[in-house]
Amino acid sequence: MSKIPPIFYALGIPVVVIVILLAVVLPRLAGGGRFADLSAFSVDGYRKDWATMQGNIYRLDCQIEQQLSFVEGKGRILAVKPTETARGAGRISVFVPLNGGNNFEVGQRYKFKVRVSRDLLVVEELEKF
Amino acid sequence: MKHLFNILFISALTVAGFAQAEPPKAATTSGDYKSSTVEGGADRLFDVNSDSVDMENGSMQWKGKTFNLGNSRLMRARFERYLQTPQTSDDVQKYIKILDKIEKLLAPNAITQANYYTNQQEAFNLLFEAAQYEMDANNSLTVASQVKKIWTMRAEFRDLNITKNQLEALRKLQEGVVVNRAQKIEEANDDTTAGSTNKLKKTSQGTTELGYRVKDESRTQAEILAKSAEMTALGLKAQVEFQSQMVGFLLQRRYRHCIITSAFYRVLFKGANQNIKVGAKEVKEFFPVSDFVPTLESLDTLAREAMNDVNLGMKTVDDLHKQGEVYASFERLQETYFLGEYEPVVMTFDAVKKREMLDLWRDLRELQRIGDERDLANVEGYVNKVKGRAKDFPGTSILSKVNNAINASNMAVLSAKQGALSGDTAKAESALERAGKIWPQNPQIKEFATQVVNRQDKMGQMIPEFDRLVSESKWRDIFNKKLEFALALSSDKGRSDKLRQIVNRVGELDANIQKASVLATQNNPYLAWDVLVEASKTESDDLVLAKTRSDIAPLVADYARLIALAEKFEKEGAEAAALNAWLQAQDINPASPACGEAIKRLARIVAGGSNVRATSEVPVPPLTPATTEEVPVPPAR
Repeated sequence: MSKIPPIFYALGIPVVVIVILLAVVLPRLAGGGRFADLSAFSVDGYRKDWATMQGNIYRLDCQIEQQLSFVEGKGRILAVKPTETARGAGRISVFVPLNGGNNFEVGQRYKFKVRVSRDLLVVEELEKF
Repeated sequence: MKHLFNILFISALTVAGFAQAEPPKAATTSGDYKSSTVEGGADRLFDVNSDSVDMENGSMQWKGKTFNLGNSRLMRARFERYLQTPQTSDDVQKYIKILDKIEKLLAPNAITQANYYTNQQEAFNLLFEAAQYEMDANNSLTVASQVKKIWTMRAEFRDLNITKNQLEALRKLQEGVVVNRAQKIEEANDDTTAGSTNKLKKTSQGTTELGYRVKDESRTQAEILAKSAEMTALGLKAQVEFQSQMVGFLLQRRYRHCIITSAFYRVLFKGANQNIKVGAKEVKEFFPVSDFVPTLESLDTLAREAMNDVNLGMKTVDDLHKQGEVYASFERLQETYFLGEYEPVVMTFDAVKKREMLDLWRDLRELQRIGDERDLANVEGYVNKVKGRAKDFPGTSILSKVNNAINASNMAVLSAKQGALSGDTAKAESALERAGKIWPQNPQIKEFATQVVNRQDKMGQMIPEFDRLVSESKWRDIFNKKLEFALALSSDKGRSDKLRQIVNRVGELDANIQKASVLATQNNPYLAWDVLVEASKTESDDLVLAKTRSDIAPLVADYARLIALAEKFEKEGAEAAALNAWLQAQDINPASPACGEAIKRLARIVAGGSNVRATSEVPVPPLTPATTEEVPVPPAR
């Protein structure tokens, strides 16, 4: 019976751990997270011509600025500021339907999966980061 | 109103009596010129209340006694004539010396038994010498005539005395005859009684003769009494005539002649006749003592006191003139003139100064005339003219009162206008009458009268014009003619109320425009734009507002574009897009209340209706900023 040398374990285990960590963390650091497969939302494009974006789903990384309105049984309108300004800066509004127990605080960062519903951005899924 | 009339009355009187030295007594009818020179004497024998010249009544007060100087017009004319008269060529000093010499010749210390007649004669002769001077005005001749008359009366008195003595002698003789005849009759009666045997003897012999003798003696006695009465009357007449002349001179203010007449009187009449019989009442008025007995010395004192006052007054005139106080000098000259116009020192006053005073007098008279006519607009000009001649003229108080009167008149016209506007005709008439009384030539009265006349004509034109502008919503045009409309529509309550609303509305708009302009100048164009956008919601057609917006729009192009976009989206039903545009605008102008309000409103709408959005309706996408250079303006409502 061949005996595995101890050095193999000493080097192999850390390498495996690092590989696993890289596999999990890197996609997050790269901005993708849960919605890494979605296209990043373009604020400028939305403002310029939101009609052509209707029905599309995007990933929006943003920071909560203000809750503009809340309607019981329906949801809330939040003013958010994109964290990535390459595709446009400034605040925009998003609608968060009342389908979860999420608490939104000013300054929190989220990754939103948004759908352009006519002129409105509706948040379908979200992830704090 | 009464108060206003009082103010007017006082003002008018003040203007009319502008020459008054002191203003405290507003409605003075006497005491125009107070004499500080006279009042200044602390060692006065008399109780001096005040000396003054009253031009209105033509009188002058001196030591509480009023001298009547004739009516006011003549009095003014006399003073003006004095100022116009050239300086007399007489040698004043020589004239005064002659009069002084007469006085000295008749003085009590100069008259003795030896020179009693010669001094009188010498003084009498000097009177003719004095009469040759122009300034004497032949009054010395009057004195001479009076003296001569006394001398003649004295001769008559002597003749009467002789006749009386002769009659007395005759009466004594007649008395002796009567006694003698009476004794004879008594003796005859005794004889008859003793020898009663001879009954045929006549017992009443001589009775008839006695009767005639008694009658003769009585006649002589009566003649003596008549002569005595005639002598008494003659003496009294002489005294009365002389004293009349003396008092006459005093009241005419010919003081030197009064003193000379008094001196002659003292010499011509005995000590028992030295009391004043004529003019005692007038003389007593100068002395406020109840049991005062006027004498010749009283007259002397008064005359000398007046002469001293005149001399002092003229010295003051010169002194004030030297100090440049021409108006005060003029006042003193006037009062001194009326106290002693015949005094040499007054008559020989410097001609150049008199000319200067004459010019001042004429300007003062003109100013008074203007005041009398209440020509208030021209008072200031004349006050300045007088002040140019006399810097000490108290013009400021006059101008102040004139200005008060002008203001009062203008206020009354304003009140009349208000009355007319409110339809209160009685009030308007009363106020207009009041304004006219205060200042008859007030130009605002004429203007108001013209307005009233034109108002009726205008009413017919203005009402249709007002209705047309209202129907066309031309509020600014109405606002610009608000005063004309207010006058024309004053009696139409409905239209007046409408006018008031329009004026308030445009006034508020102007205030907002002004506010926006101020904000823009304070480097805050975004808030200015907010104000204008808000104003535009109600006054979209106003040209002034539109111009102000176009002035500010270049400064806020991006902001204005976003607001316009937001409003457009909202109008098209794209509330979420509108909300985003508003958010973008708020990023530019965080303090904007308009943005805040719009965001709040739209967020509520979007949150409330988000689940019913139809994806089939695709609104028209907005124009990109690059496609147009024109700055969008919020649409008018």
